Amino acid sequence: MAENKHEVLPGTLNLLVLKTLATMGPLHGYGIARRIEQISGDLLELNQGTIYPALLKLEQLGWIRAKWSVSENNRRAKFYSLTRAGQKQLLAEEEEWNRTAAIVTRFLTPSEQKQ
Amino acid sequence: MIRLRIFFFRLRGLFLKRNLEQELADEIQSHLEMQIEDNQRLGMGPDDARYAALRKFGGVEQVKEIYRDRRGLPFMETFLRDLGYGARMLRRTPIITTVAILSLALGIGANTALFSVVDAVLLKTLPVEAPDRLVVFEWQAGRRFRTNGMSGTSNVNVAPDMRGLSLFRYEVFEKMQQARNTTGSESPLTDLFAFGPISELTAKVGDQPEIVKGQAVSAGYYTGLRVQPRLGRAITDEDDRPGAAPVVVISDQFWQERFRANPAVIGQQLLLNKQSFTIISVTPPAFNGTLQVDYQPAVTIPLAVEPLLLGEKSNLGTAKESGVWWLNLMGRLKPGATYEQARESLNGTFQSAALEMMPQPRKVNQPAQLDPRDYPRLLSESGSRGMPDVRKVYAPTIYGLFIVVALVLLIACANLANLLLARAALRGPEISVRLAVGAGRWRLIRQLMTESLLLAVLGGAVGVFFAFWGKSVLLALTDKETGLLPRGVDLSLNWRVLVFTLMVSLLTGLLFGLTPAWRATSLDLTTALKHSRRMTSTVSRLSKGLLVLQVALSFLLLIGAGLFIRTLYNLQRVNLGFNQQNLLVFRLQPQDSGYKNERLLQFYQKLFTRLDHLPGVRAATFGRVELIANDNWFNDFLLPGETETTAAERDTMRQMVRENYFATMEIPFLRGREFTVQDDQHAPSVAIVNQTFVRKFFSDPDVLGKRVTFLDNKREVEIVGVVADTKYENQREELQPLLYTPWRQEGAAIGEMHFVLRTAGEPTTLANTVRQVVHELDSNLPVTEIGTQSARAQATLGQERLYARLLSFFGGVALLLAAIGLFGVLAYSVGQRTKEIGIRMAFGAQMTRVLRLVIWQGMKLVLLGLAVGALAWYALNRLLQSQYFGPETWQRRMTQQLYGINATDPLTLIVIGSLLTLVGLIACWLPARRAAKVDPLVALRYE
Repeated sequence: MAENKHEVLPGTLNLLVLKTLATMGPLHGYGIARRIEQISGDLLELNQGTIYPALLKLEQLGWIRAKWSVSENNRRAKFYSLTRAGQKQLLAEEEEWNRTAAIVTRFLTPSEQKQ
Repeated sequence: MIRLRIFFFRLRGLFLKRNLEQELADEIQSHLEMQIEDNQRLGMGPDDARYAALRKFGGVEQVKEIYRDRRGLPFMETFLRDLGYGARMLRRTPIITTVAILSLALGIGANTALFSVVDAVLLKTLPVEAPDRLVVFEWQAGRRFRTNGMSGTSNVNVAPDMRGLSLFRYEVFEKMQQARNTTGSESPLTDLFAFGPISELTAKVGDQPEIVKGQAVSAGYYTGLRVQPRLGRAITDEDDRPGAAPVVVISDQFWQERFRANPAVIGQQLLLNKQSFTIISVTPPAFNGTLQVDYQPAVTIPLAVEPLLLGEKSNLGTAKESGVWWLNLMGRLKPGATYEQARESLNGTFQSAALEMMPQPRKVNQPAQLDPRDYPRLLSESGSRGMPDVRKVYAPTIYGLFIVVALVLLIACANLANLLLARAALRGPEISVRLAVGAGRWRLIRQLMTESLLLAVLGGAVGVFFAFWGKSVLLALTDKETGLLPRGVDLSLNWRVLVFTLMVSLLTGLLFGLTPAWRATSLDLTTALKHSRRMTSTVSRLSKGLLVLQVALSFLLLIGAGLFIRTLYNLQRVNLGFNQQNLLVFRLQPQDSGYKNERLLQFYQKLFTRLDHLPGVRAATFGRVELIANDNWFNDFLLPGETETTAAERDTMRQMVRENYFATMEIPFLRGREFTVQDDQHAPSVAIVNQTFVRKFFSDPDVLGKRVTFLDNKREVEIVGVVADTKYENQREELQPLLYTPWRQEGAAIGEMHFVLRTAGEPTTLANTVRQVVHELDSNLPVTEIGTQSARAQATLGQERLYARLLSFFGGVALLLAAIGLFGVLAYSVGQRTKEIGIRMAFGAQMTRVLRLVIWQGMKLVLLGLAVGALAWYALNRLLQSQYFGPETWQRRMTQQLYGINATDPLTLIVIGSLLTLVGLIACWLPARRAAKVDPLVALRYE
């Protein structure tokens, strides 16, 4: 499903977005991108623009919903929030991710390795 | 579930494209502005801030592109775009597009029209509840199983040493019904009912009597079929008792036509064969009964009342004669039951009942006991379409016709394939550019295919209109004697037919679109890009092959047409043995109105007194059998000195005539004396025979005075005259032995008669006068089948005429299409080779040489096509005559349709071949002329 070469972490981007929304509450696309940047400490080579197709996909899957609203600077922006299905999905993916990491760690030396 | 959700989202994205596009732009805009603000807050200058923001974002257009692909349905969007593009391309060449659509429409329309026939005759199920639960019963028995008389149509496929019938006797049906009733709810059948046709009833509505088709049904008929009457109530057990008040159910069509859809018709009286019936209901509009596919009864009466209508001719039997096998039997299966179960549950009862009915052997030396191997056994098959017998007869010819129209469609497709091939070749440079830039090959093929599919669907749509029109033409071609398509069949363009049209259109589009598209996109890029026209071979071998195929197919169709035209010509010139000019014929059935014995004779006398003196009538006579109308009457008889037990089975054709018959018909009288007025019931019984009778049954030609005896009534007649042979049933037949008797001596057997009037002028001008004369004598007596003898003879050739007409029409269409194709391909080729022609002419080639060159290029293909066609024809004939097809198969029977001519007749082949060559020459000459007019200077500069 890698239709574009820009998406660095296929699949995990979904997780990051969902987690961001869970933590931060409703947020616009720019906010989400900035937050991911901050948390990952600029270690991710992520073109900000790629977030928008990802957000669309999440919306189509029913895990987030979108609404036009006004931001803190009185700027009109599209805000995304987590749906209940999205919350469930987040929990499921977190669990999955932890399980995968545990298995892989068992095989590898303790040094951090990107998937 | 999730995929469905995604799909709907995408569908929404497709429709709200413009809004969503704007939304995305806004969102990205706002994102960038926020980033720029942040950047500026970090201390960057406005330009740097913007630059950094854009870089961080990534490619805006790429993101939009990815987003777009995910948002909508890309497949749908490209398809719609291709469609628009294809429509524009077609609009650019309006003439070619129109010709293409029209030729497709013709092919598809013909197929659709014929499919509606297939659907109506062979596929359509009865408009009743759950028709697939209906079962039809038939039976088979060894040839030694004896039945008394039978009446009706039957066509059951059984082994050659057995006989099969779909007709039952009333007593047998009764027993089977009792058996079913006693098993009650255990039986696999919920209903069992019987029905039979009463083919000619005189019905009188208002003033005018007319002959209608009727049927008699058992009480369970309408309930078994689950048909609700439109008005009134259906026939019940109460009505189906001997002695019950006579009731009748009328069909919707009869109600519309004769009663003008008046709802007050319930309770009115209707006169049938002069008996009064009460109308109790009208059947629903689509319901045409369950009898053979071409039989739609206008009136339906209960079985028990049938003797009231037919009196001594009752099929249920009278005091003197036992009933006959004439009823059809159907049942309705319980849910979950099978045909086999139903069959088994009734087989035993049927067998014993049928054996009980078996009459004593005719010949003393025949065993009375029947070998158990010959016992009658019940059969069953699906009843979802009503009685299958007639349908099975029509099926082969309908399928044959289907093959013809399919061939025509194929030719049309070939034309379009050539057209698209040429067009695609012209677009070679454009396509190679696209391929070079990275377009997927399949993507391009899809685009080209969309164009051909668009053409095909447009052709299909126009084809449906052609089918509407063609349907009425088809119906017009089904006259009474055609026997090719059943008349009275309702051909409607229902959804099944339209789905068929759609499928054919799509298939056509795929067929003629795929190969050109494939070809076009398999270009060698480097050479194609060099933009040289001469590169692609001017006319590909595929194109040539298609043209040859078209010519060959047209040849085959036209040969068929030619052979049938010759057959028709031959049949129309057969010597019938009598003079068929200026003869007016009509039929009377006074016995249906209650005339018999003395009253009948007197009636005919009175009628003749009038007819003899009508102005314009030179002579009036009548005969029992109408000549050349597929009518017959035959009797078993014994030669002098033979007895019933010793004689072999022997029968002769019969005719019963007035005294002046031979003179009026101008049949040469050879020996002895003609009938006179003195040959009445008091005089000794006499007969006159024809030459074939003498030849066949007597070694000594001196037959005058010899006596023969009829087997059924033991009447003995003396031969007093010999007359020349005539054709009897139709033009084709071999001459048959014929024995005439005088009408006054027939007594009770006289019934319907076919009157023949030799007129001074045009016979049809007397038709109304004749009707008036009869009306004056008896206003309740209808005159039927009034027309000229020559028209009747023509009608008997209905099937041959139809074949000839249809094959000529389709052959002509095929030829036209092939000619257009040839013209098109050559014109294209000339266009391609303009430069080459220019060079030749510059070097001194004469115009005639150029002409010859182009014409020969085309004629090569025509001649090759003829050769292929001729070979195919010979091969086909050998195949048909071989062991592979038995004599009873429809394929073999088709070859026997020809008369007086061989299927491999050389004259026909030569004539058709010449015709095709001529047309080919014309098709080649036109583009050749254009080639010859090429100005070398212009051509050499022309790139």
